[in-house]
Formats: sequence, structure tokens, C-alpha cells
Amino acid sequence: MRRGNRTWIVIFLFVLLTGLIAPACGSGEESEVVAPTASPSGEVEVEQLGLLTVPGDDWGYPSPFSFYPRGPGYIAMHFIFDTLTWKDENDVIPWLADSWSTSEDGKDWTFQLREGVKWHDGEPLTAEDVKFSFEYGKSHLAVSSWFAALADVESVEVSGDHEVTIHLTRPLASFQDDIAGNMPIIPKHIWEDVEDPAKFTTEEAVIGSGPFKLVDYDKEEGTYVYDANNDFFAGRVLVKRLVMRRVSDEALALETGTVDEASFWGKEIDLVGDYEEGERFEVITGPSFWVLQVIFNNQKAPTNLVEFRKAVAHAIDREEIIDKVTHGGAIVAHPGILHPDSDWYSPDVATYDYDPVEAERLLDSLDFVDRDGDGVRETPEGEKLSFVLVTTSDYSSDYSREAEIIKDNLGAVGIDVEVKALDYSTADGILREGNFHLAINGHGGIAVPSILDEPDWPANTYKSEEYNALYQQQSEEIDVEERGELVAQLQAMVADDLPVFTLYHPKMWCVFNPEKLDTWFYTKNGVAFGIPIEMNKLIFVER
Amino acid sequence: MKVTVKSAQYLGALLIVLALNFFLPRFMPGDPLAYITADPSVDMPVVMAQETREKLLAYYGLDSPVGQQFGDYLGNLARGDLGWSIHFNAPVSEVLLGHLKWTLLLVGTAAVIYVPLGITLGVVSAWKRNSKTDVSLLVFLLSLGAWPSFFLGMLLIIFFSAKLGVLPMSGAETPWVDHGGILGRILDIGRHLVLPATVLVLGHLSGVYLLTRNSVLNVLGENYILAARAKGLSEWAVMFRHVLRNALLPIVTMLALTLGFLLMGTIFVETVFAYPGMGRLFYEGTMARDYPLIQGAFLLTAILVIGANFGADMLYSRLDPRVRRQ
Repeated sequence: MRRGNRTWIVIFLFVLLTGLIAPACGSGEESEVVAPTASPSGEVEVEQLGLLTVPGDDWGYPSPFSFYPRGPGYIAMHFIFDTLTWKDENDVIPWLADSWSTSEDGKDWTFQLREGVKWHDGEPLTAEDVKFSFEYGKSHLAVSSWFAALADVESVEVSGDHEVTIHLTRPLASFQDDIAGNMPIIPKHIWEDVEDPAKFTTEEAVIGSGPFKLVDYDKEEGTYVYDANNDFFAGRVLVKRLVMRRVSDEALALETGTVDEASFWGKEIDLVGDYEEGERFEVITGPSFWVLQVIFNNQKAPTNLVEFRKAVAHAIDREEIIDKVTHGGAIVAHPGILHPDSDWYSPDVATYDYDPVEAERLLDSLDFVDRDGDGVRETPEGEKLSFVLVTTSDYSSDYSREAEIIKDNLGAVGIDVEVKALDYSTADGILREGNFHLAINGHGGIAVPSILDEPDWPANTYKSEEYNALYQQQSEEIDVEERGELVAQLQAMVADDLPVFTLYHPKMWCVFNPEKLDTWFYTKNGVAFGIPIEMNKLIFVER
Repeated sequence: MKVTVKSAQYLGALLIVLALNFFLPRFMPGDPLAYITADPSVDMPVVMAQETREKLLAYYGLDSPVGQQFGDYLGNLARGDLGWSIHFNAPVSEVLLGHLKWTLLLVGTAAVIYVPLGITLGVVSAWKRNSKTDVSLLVFLLSLGAWPSFFLGMLLIIFFSAKLGVLPMSGAETPWVDHGGILGRILDIGRHLVLPATVLVLGHLSGVYLLTRNSVLNVLGENYILAARAKGLSEWAVMFRHVLRNALLPIVTMLALTLGFLLMGTIFVETVFAYPGMGRLFYEGTMARDYPLIQGAFLLTAILVIGANFGADMLYSRLDPRVRRQ
């Protein structure tokens, strides 16, 4: 009998210990970090003058070399670090640089720096820091593919405290997007001795010049807490404390006041309608600069035949996809890939309306006809037009419903499709290896011409020397108008050759509580080199 | 003697696990570099030059032959170094421990409630079998267990967070606020724990309950129970000293087996409540093909599962004298 009791005690102790030890280690170590926050009175002040909370997630420690190389990671970092130029809702604006000029050949860029800019630790920001940033970034390309364009920087020359000239190896039309308005300037006095910048994640690594200073970063919780930099060079910071935190459901979080702003896109249009009608929140609409497309394998038969690709394009009912899958939260995509709201958009390209009759005519003209009467066409060699359509069904990128509609559309013209929904990395691997005929894949960044580098990314099966030469030519064309024409030709080529058939561009909405902050806007051509997120630091600065 | 053999068995299992941990992720299609340079949802593609790609591979030690990488892995492991997470850009051990503490808190709290409660309800049910109490408990708990946890979670959030506004809807604590001391912080963490722990309790209660009920019913039919009753022992003594003790064996086995599952299997609850646990971490690591992190997470799970089974084996010999004597 006694032993029986002891057994019980052991079981309960085990269970109790798990329950009791865990909170202790959960809270113990961090309580010291919490202690130095504002005194109780300071806390109240922060509340009154504006604590703004926005949704976020863990995107890495926000230093220029340790954030996860994605848009939201860059956003977390850009509150702390500045670039030479920046963008507002309309145009490129002076930022750390007051003014700049380009040489005739487009290879030398001279910047006059703003005077009196200080790092968060009080040291002055000088031309030496700029020079150092470019050189350091270039010699540590391996850790941050984000700044890959720095490979084109040949040297940086300093003349005085506030003038710096960047010499490029070749004219770079995208210099503003990819380098001047993208590469964060870092303090030389901190970084010069850092050997592995990715692993440098001390408090010093987040000393920048930007409107906010990092006070807390919690990897597990996906939380960033920033306090205003009251010495910020570009104006008074409107928000005393900015918190980015992970929430599970942004709509509910808005409703409960857990966050003061949230962004929605695509089929979330249903939620946005309620906010537009309601009184509490305001809504602004912006372009997502994102496209969902059908990728063809341009190397394998029969998707290597442009007539066949055109037949597929005519057979797909994009309006139906937009209607049924996104509930009208998207627009029909531009066959030239670039978004209609981009400065580089060209409307003069071939279009492919839903036209199953035309699709059948094209298939007939290829002699792809149904010979055995089973409803599926065959090639003249007797091979069935039967393909696997590769797509993803992760919870962040699920296109299986689009795929099912395309399967029906193509089935109606005699092309048999089997949908294969995989996780993102698996699908990506299949595309890169070229083991597919048809795939559905989406990507952002369609505000700027550099996205046209590989139109069928990530498969890269489209090989056209003419196209590549044209791409190369535009990338070195400094004259904006002439470059615009070359980029228009690229779009026309994509629409004619159809290496991909674009489906839709989702719409995007920023819903916010205007009582807290009402300065929200969408950045022209996206933040930095084209991030389609509304979170531009200018929103938080008095202009 | 018995313990030595058992220990050797467990050590062997651990070695096999190590090899599997290393090679399985590498058999998956896709590679870690593709993911760190391109976002599947909102971002833009980065076309990577071959040269940059090679530099990155070298930086993460992925350029050497697989055999050598395995050797390095074992060597580092022997020194207690789990490697560097490619996706999370931090030491694997730090990332794992950071999430493990929250999972242990969540799962531990839930287990402290649902294990004794499930056992108690199971015993009550079996004791009063076929009575109204038994049938209603059975129906109620079975239907409760059938609810998907994310659905239950959403309902709780809508009711307690959105409508009543009494409990926070997501996260493990309020970010960066002055709680006025450690007690305030514990309270804050506790408030964040209530809803996710409730979902876990409701989800797991029926399993423990059903097993206890069945197991107790089986034991009740044994001759020694008849003997105990014949001795004139009180019903209480028969139930808790004779029946439950023998009925506990399968329950201990089940609890040991579910431990590993609970470590990674709370992913739905974590997602619904944005709770920073192991499930989401492991999901993201796998999606990103973050080999070092997958290896570390697998290893941790394996050690805990093997450890729990070892513990169950040891506990068995305490619970069941026959096992000891063999």
C-alpha cells in the first residue's frame, strides 16, 4: 500500500515540476531586462504621447547584416538605419544626402551629405562613414545577398566631411533603387573591427541614425520595440514608442485594439469592406506589386511551342479566378509582368482574353487533336496532352484553388491537367531543376525593371539572347526616357513570347485607427528597392 | 543488469536517430539557400549569381562533401555545439531553448490539469459504469475531444478577448511593459497562458479519460479485486489502492508516448494564439530547409521521447513488481 502512494507522488511531482520550472526559467532571466524600462511615470507618458502598435513577426535582429533578407526584415532594420536617398508617396527625396549629381557616362555619382547628422551614440555621421559602408557591404556580400548590387561599385572617394563620390564599374540605371536608396549607412567607428557581421548582434550593432532606436527585440515572440530618436535629422518623430508584434488574426487584433494598424490583401477584401463602412477605422488602397503567374517550361515539348503557350493563355479564365478565389480583391494581371501602377509599365503589349474557341483553333493548328475520342488531345506523335501542374499549398502561399480552376479551364479545351500542390521549398526545387511543364508561382517586386531579369523566375527556362541583350542595354541606360522605351520593349517581348502567363495582381489595403496616427501612405514604386509594404519610416516623421 | 541492457538499447536508438537527423532533411527537395533569398509570399525574387551562391554555401559549411559535413556535425555535437541556424541567423541551441521554455510552460500547465483531471474522471466513470454520470461524461468528453483545436481557439478568442476583453488574444506576454516587479510579470504571463492552455486541456482530456476508464474497467474484472472486496475493504480503498494502481500501466505508457508529440504538436494552438512554441519553430525551420535547426529540433525531440520512455520503463518497474523480477 505504501509503495502505491509513493508512485502517485512521483507522478504528480513530475507533472508539477514541468509546470513550475518552466515559468521560472521563462520569466527569471528576462526580468532584469524589463527592469530598466521607463519608471511608472514614464510609462504613462508613453501611453499619452503615442504608443503605436503594428503587426509584425520575427524577421531577425534588425542590424543591416542580420535581418532575414526579406521585405519585412528590411523594414524592421530601416527604422534604425538610413540611406543616401529615400522615397515618399510621389518621388525620390533627399535623405542623408542633400543633393546629388551624375557624370555624363552614368558611372560616377556625387552626393552632398546633409550636415549635422548624428549617430544614436552622439558621434557625427560623415562622408567617411558612407565610404566605409559601401566598402564594408561590398566585401561582405556573402552574408547579405540583399545588397548584391554593390558588386558594381568600383570605389568610393571622399572629398571633405560632406561630399562623397561613388565610382561604378558600369553605368547603372537602377543605381537609385538598388544602391543609393537601399544600402544603409553604418557607423565606421563601430563596424570597422567586426569580422562576421551576421553574427554581430550586440546593442552596438543597432546604433544608426534613423528615427527610432531599438530598445527590445524578442526573437521567440517576434516583437520589436523602438523608441523615438529625438535628435532625428529629418524632423520630429510623431510616435514616442513603436511596437511591432506578432498577432494571429490581424482583423481581431484591430478590433480589440491590440494593434492600431493592419494591412490586408487579395481575398481579405471581404474584411476591408466592413472597415470602409464602419466609423472607427480608415482605409487606404495600394498596389501590391505582386503577380501570380503560370510558368511554362520553355525547354520541354510541347510547352516550348509559343502557339501552345498562347492556346493555354486563351483557355484560362482569369476573371473567374479573380472572382471565385480572391472575391474581386485583385486585378487582371499585365502580360508584361510589371504592375500598372509602376512608372515603368507599358500598356502596348499583346493581351490574351479568355477565348476557348481561339485556344482550340491554336491547338488544332498544331495538329494537337483528340484522335482516340477520350476528350484529351494528342500530339501528332500520339502523346497525350496530359500534364502535372505544380503549385504550392503552404499556409502563406496556397494556390490550389487557382490551380483547380485552371485544370477545369484547360480540360474544356482538351488538355488534361493533374494538380500537384507541394510545400514551397519542394516546388521551388522542382522548378529550378526544370522537372515540370506547368507551374503556378507568385512573386513581388514588379514595380522595377530589374524584375524582368528572369521573367520565369525561379525556373529560368526562357533562353532568348535578344531578350538578354535588351535587358542588359536598359540596365545601363541612364536616360530615363530611353530606358523607359527599352523596358517597354522587354514587356512587349514577354507578352509575345509568353514564357509566363500572368494571372492577377492582388489589391492591398492599409486599415488604421486615425485617432492614433493618420499619416499612412503607400510609397511610390515600393519602399527602398520595391518592398510593397506600407511601413515607410516617413509615416512616423513630421513633414 | 536489466537497467544496463535497457540503457544500451536507448543509447543505440540515440545513435540511429543522430544519423537519421542528419541525412533525412538533406533528402528533401529544395535547399536552404533558395529560401533565404526569396520569399514565397509577399516578397521579390533575388536572382543570385553563381559566385554569391558558392560564397554562401561555403559560409554555412554546405560546400564540403556530405560525409565530411556529417563528421563535422558529430564533432561539434560532442562539444555541445548544435550549429548555426541558417534561417534564424542565431545559434541553434539558443533558438531551441528560447522556444522550448514557452512550450514547456504551456504543455506543462495543460498536463498538470488534464492528466489528474482525466484520470479522476475516468475512475469516476468506470466506478459508476452505465450510470447517468458515466454516460454523460462519456458523451461530453468525447464530443469535446472531437473539436478541432484551432476552431476552439478562435471561439475562445472571439468570446474572451474580443467580446469580453478580459484576456489577451495572442503572444506569451505583453511586450516590453513595466509590470512593477516580477509578480506582475508572472501574472501577465499567466493571463496569456489561460486560453491556449485551456484549448490544450480540452483537446487532451478525453484521451486520458477514455484510457483510464477502459483500463479501470478491465482491472475491475480481475479476481484480485474480488478478493480485495471479499476482505471487506472499503470501495474507496479498492478503487484507489488496488484498481487504479494496476490500471495506471497503460496510462503511463501513453503519457510517455505523447510527450514528444506535445512538444511539436501544439502547432495549431501556437498559430491561433501566436504563442512562441516549438511547433511553429519546427514548421518554419522545415519550410526553410534550415538543416542545422531541423537537426537540433529532431535531436531534442528524440532525446525527450527516448528519455520519457526510459522514465516510463523505470516507472514501470516501480508500478509492476513482475517487470522488476524478470
